[in-house]
Amino acid sequence: MRVGGAARLRRDTVALAIVSVLYVALASLVHNSYYQLILTLVPIWAVVGLGWNLFSGMSGLVSFGHASFFGIGAYTVTLALVYWHLTPWLGIPLGMIIGGIAAVLIGLPTFRLRGHYFALAMLAYPLAMLYVLQYLGFQEIPLPMHREHPALFLQFAQPFYSTLVAMGLFIAAMVAAMLVENSRFGLALLAIKQNELAAEAAGLDTKRWKMLALTASGAISAAAGGLYACVLLVVTPDSVFGVIVSAQALVVTLFGGVATVWGPVIGAAVLIPLAETLNARLGDIVPGIQGVIYGVAIIGIMLAAPEGLFWTLRDRFWRRAPAPEVIEERASSLAVLVKEGTLLEVSGLSKSFGGLRAVQDVCFSVAGGEILGIIGPNGAGKTTLFNLLNGVLPADAGSARFDGRELRGLKVHEVARLGVGRTFQVVRSFPRLSLLDNVIVGGYGAGLGDRAAAAAAEAALEAVGLGDRAARPAGELTNKELRLMELARALAGRPRLLLLDETLAGLGREECDDLLAVLRELRAAGMTIVIIEHTMHAMLRLADRFLVLDHGAVLAEGLPKDVVEDRAVIEAYLGTKFLAQHHNSADLHA
Amino acid sequence: MLEVRDLSVSYGGLRALHGVSLSVKPGRFVTVVGPNGAGKTTLFKAICGVVVPGSGEVMWDGAPLLAQPAAKRAHLGIAHVPEGRQVFRTLTVRENLEMGAYPRSGRERWAHTLDRIHTLFPILAERAHQLAGTLSGGEQQMLAIGRGLACAPRLLMLDEPSMGLAPAVAETIFERVAQIHKEDGVAILLVEQRVAEALELSDHGYVLETGHVVLDGPYQTLLADDRVRRSYLGMGEEA
Amino acid sequence: MGGLLENVLNAVAAGLIIGCLYGLMCIGLGLIFGIMNVVNFAQGELLMLGMYVSLYLVSGFAAIGFLGPYAAPFVAALIAGPVLFGGGALLHRFLLRHVSGLSTASRLDQGGFGQLIVTLGISLILQNGGLILFGSTPASVRTPLSAKAFIIGPFAGDTMLFLNQARVYACVVAIVIAVALWLVMERTRLGKSLRAAADNPIAATYMGIDVDRAYRIAFGLGSAITAIAGGLMATYLSFTPFVGLDYVIIMYSGVVLGGMGSILGAFWGGLLVGFVQQVSALVLSPQLQNAAIFVVFLLIVGLRPQGLFGRSAERA
Repeated sequence: MRVGGAARLRRDTVALAIVSVLYVALASLVHNSYYQLILTLVPIWAVVGLGWNLFSGMSGLVSFGHASFFGIGAYTVTLALVYWHLTPWLGIPLGMIIGGIAAVLIGLPTFRLRGHYFALAMLAYPLAMLYVLQYLGFQEIPLPMHREHPALFLQFAQPFYSTLVAMGLFIAAMVAAMLVENSRFGLALLAIKQNELAAEAAGLDTKRWKMLALTASGAISAAAGGLYACVLLVVTPDSVFGVIVSAQALVVTLFGGVATVWGPVIGAAVLIPLAETLNARLGDIVPGIQGVIYGVAIIGIMLAAPEGLFWTLRDRFWRRAPAPEVIEERASSLAVLVKEGTLLEVSGLSKSFGGLRAVQDVCFSVAGGEILGIIGPNGAGKTTLFNLLNGVLPADAGSARFDGRELRGLKVHEVARLGVGRTFQVVRSFPRLSLLDNVIVGGYGAGLGDRAAAAAAEAALEAVGLGDRAARPAGELTNKELRLMELARALAGRPRLLLLDETLAGLGREECDDLLAVLRELRAAGMTIVIIEHTMHAMLRLADRFLVLDHGAVLAEGLPKDVVEDRAVIEAYLGTKFLAQHHNSADLHA
Repeated sequence: MLEVRDLSVSYGGLRALHGVSLSVKPGRFVTVVGPNGAGKTTLFKAICGVVVPGSGEVMWDGAPLLAQPAAKRAHLGIAHVPEGRQVFRTLTVRENLEMGAYPRSGRERWAHTLDRIHTLFPILAERAHQLAGTLSGGEQQMLAIGRGLACAPRLLMLDEPSMGLAPAVAETIFERVAQIHKEDGVAILLVEQRVAEALELSDHGYVLETGHVVLDGPYQTLLADDRVRRSYLGMGEEA
Repeated sequence: MGGLLENVLNAVAAGLIIGCLYGLMCIGLGLIFGIMNVVNFAQGELLMLGMYVSLYLVSGFAAIGFLGPYAAPFVAALIAGPVLFGGGALLHRFLLRHVSGLSTASRLDQGGFGQLIVTLGISLILQNGGLILFGSTPASVRTPLSAKAFIIGPFAGDTMLFLNQARVYACVVAIVIAVALWLVMERTRLGKSLRAAADNPIAATYMGIDVDRAYRIAFGLGSAITAIAGGLMATYLSFTPFVGLDYVIIMYSGVVLGGMGSILGAFWGGLLVGFVQQVSALVLSPQLQNAAIFVVFLLIVGLRPQGLFGRSAERA
């Protein structure tokens, strides 16, 4: 459990307990077996939604194929009961295991795809399974009756007990989902959703987290499918592998709200009774009318609350900052070992895109404890250089040695783990998470444990002067604070070298000065910094040395005041004609 | 012709432009210079309707422009050559130019403007059937300018046309822009970081820094002013 | 041996013919996907509407009855196009534009989700609305051609090729429409402006292209093309309001295979899907034919994630 999530977890646990008690109390009053069935189905679909949300909602990779797992769960339980007389109490866990394995097998090839390709490829799996099952002759399998042992085979005479079992599964899934949401796992997934590249740069092994999420998600959905089979007592390929099931997982979650455990709950609680009641009330009179109304309802809600009911309602009625949290463990300061001599040695680094030579034969070195400013006109290849250094792009030639280790060929998260932190031109934040949570991601990336990561994040926020704002949601921050937060995120990974990409962009004079002060303090604490920046007045006051890039090549290198008087540099920045015009005044300054 | 009054734009909490005013008269050449992040591109986007300003006004031919939808503005004779060129990479060079001539004014004079564009940039005639994405940076910039000209505009807005180009290529681009201004009588609004080249061509210049106009005047005045130099190179700050 | 050869040839011929119809169907989806980047779950229902519009034109209106049982079904299929163009444009105007395109570009990250729910909702409404209006009895637009076949051969001994006439004519119409659409997209100002809006919506706005209108036209056109394909397919198969479910997946397979955003690619993708489906019938039972499609689909997508004809731009 991560430290920052404690309060929310407590709150959610209380809410879950209250909701569950009320729900069971309500169910105990219902004697009509049809309504009781609806009450059983609500938690089951909520579980399916929770499973989908755990993967797609949190990681942002949309899956249209969660019916695969639901169906696997349903068929495992059914077939195990038919052939081995295996009780669902064991059949459901077995289904979860098989569902988890299926998730790995599906994930391995499919994670290679991105965006809509991923989503649509996922659609193919349940359909392939559906057709195979039809072919194998498992069209419509009724579950064998074992009325003599109702509790053992979940075949209760009283449908109320089915609701109890479904609630049990629901509570288990909720607790699991809440733990994930408030753990490093959940944060890692959110980080991937926000910006996969930045997450990797913070040291997260995104492939592993995504696979883990899909596996857990598959197992949860399989459990729901297994119980669904026990409740309905018959499975058909269409009812458990059909597109409708995948769609239902999506609809329930999106309707309620993505990336919160309460989303699927709200969605299921509203939509399932709505759909079933419409079915029962109107379905016989005008077949099809229920589908029309249901469709109109989900479109209407989506247009009115595009982010789902939970978020829309919360934003409207609940707009208050979360209570400040107390963290017992005081952080040790950001102790950085100053390494004498050269920390980063880059030689002959080159990269071409098609015909364009974005970085050509760049050589430079950075000494421990130094601030190197990289300047150059737009399009000079500065960001590409950073991308080569931290593994976002593979270099065509050359080498980059960090503390004696070759960086070329390493993955982004591996470079981060060696102690190279990075910020990006565009700040990405999780506006709804607290500042501390935003920063903790950086600590996880460095492989720190929960407490250590929280401590590192605290220390990093302290170091950039945001210590008192740790509990505020990032959405309320000013531009300067966002920049500082991103700096803190990089610091939380306890780097020895910071690569800063336009950290001062878009800041006013005074805001800029504040950030400069922070950076100077970091250097005083022994941090080594390479910074790309356009704001020259700031760079002149910050950097120990300048490296000037133009058209991908090193144009000049040296002390700032020498570099800005360099004719080649002035020419690159202001043009030949400026130089000619200003020949005299340039001499004066020199 | 174009009159920007007291324009302010914010993104989220960040104010990109604070009360910027400038004007372009018919047939004039106006340059806006300033370091990165000064708000130059935002200014252009606001004029073209891609960004909605918080306050202020933009007048075009005496009528408020902000009330017009973005797509309508090209039809009024304003062409925008965006930062980073933004050519349609999957369309051919000729198709890109045809898209530039999408407004009626462009279609009516298509044969004539196409000739003119090919005279200015012969390479575009040579590469007419090549996909724009396969062109070099300089060629793409020429295409972007040609595409802007294709609607026979009265105002051509150019956002950093020299960005990322080799000096010799940038030189050619500037020559062509000057030629367009002189020979076609098109008013030019240019954003540039190569200050001298840009200001030299222009009748009037504005220096933008962190969202404010800090200086404006004719080109000689600006070039002589140390603030131009300082805002780019930071020289004289601590000296 | 002769029997085997005959089976293979007949399956290949059927695969190519059905494939062309699938290709046309896929172009409709590919247009919407490629230009608007919208995953339209209701595309199958547009196909279904094309079938029913065609059916009612043939049986319900004397207007085109005079064309006779041979021509009427094909003319009706063509008329279904403009009808669904209007329907699609309205759907975009009132629903989809709020959850797709430029209106969501400024939103944080949830834009893609809203669009999914809305098209799912449209799909539900159309399916069930269809059930209310049309009933659940399977219908078909029969023409005497469905029962006739072109017979080629005998050649190479006693090998004969049987080509269902309804399908052959439908296939020819499909190819004509596909070529016509391709010409529109490549040669006309409208087509080019649609491609420009797809390529770079912001720059297209700078050119004076009304991107919202371009999207509306794209959605209308995509609806129309799929509806025409539906009308053509209605001449040889029976359908219910739920027929869309069977085909939406096939459409997506075809479009993804062809490479999203490429119109020709969508056609070839659809052709490939139809071909695999028909030819696999030689060795597989009917239930496994569709499974075969997905296996091929996963294989190709795994090997070439940008699709057979797509550019790799989207992978970045």
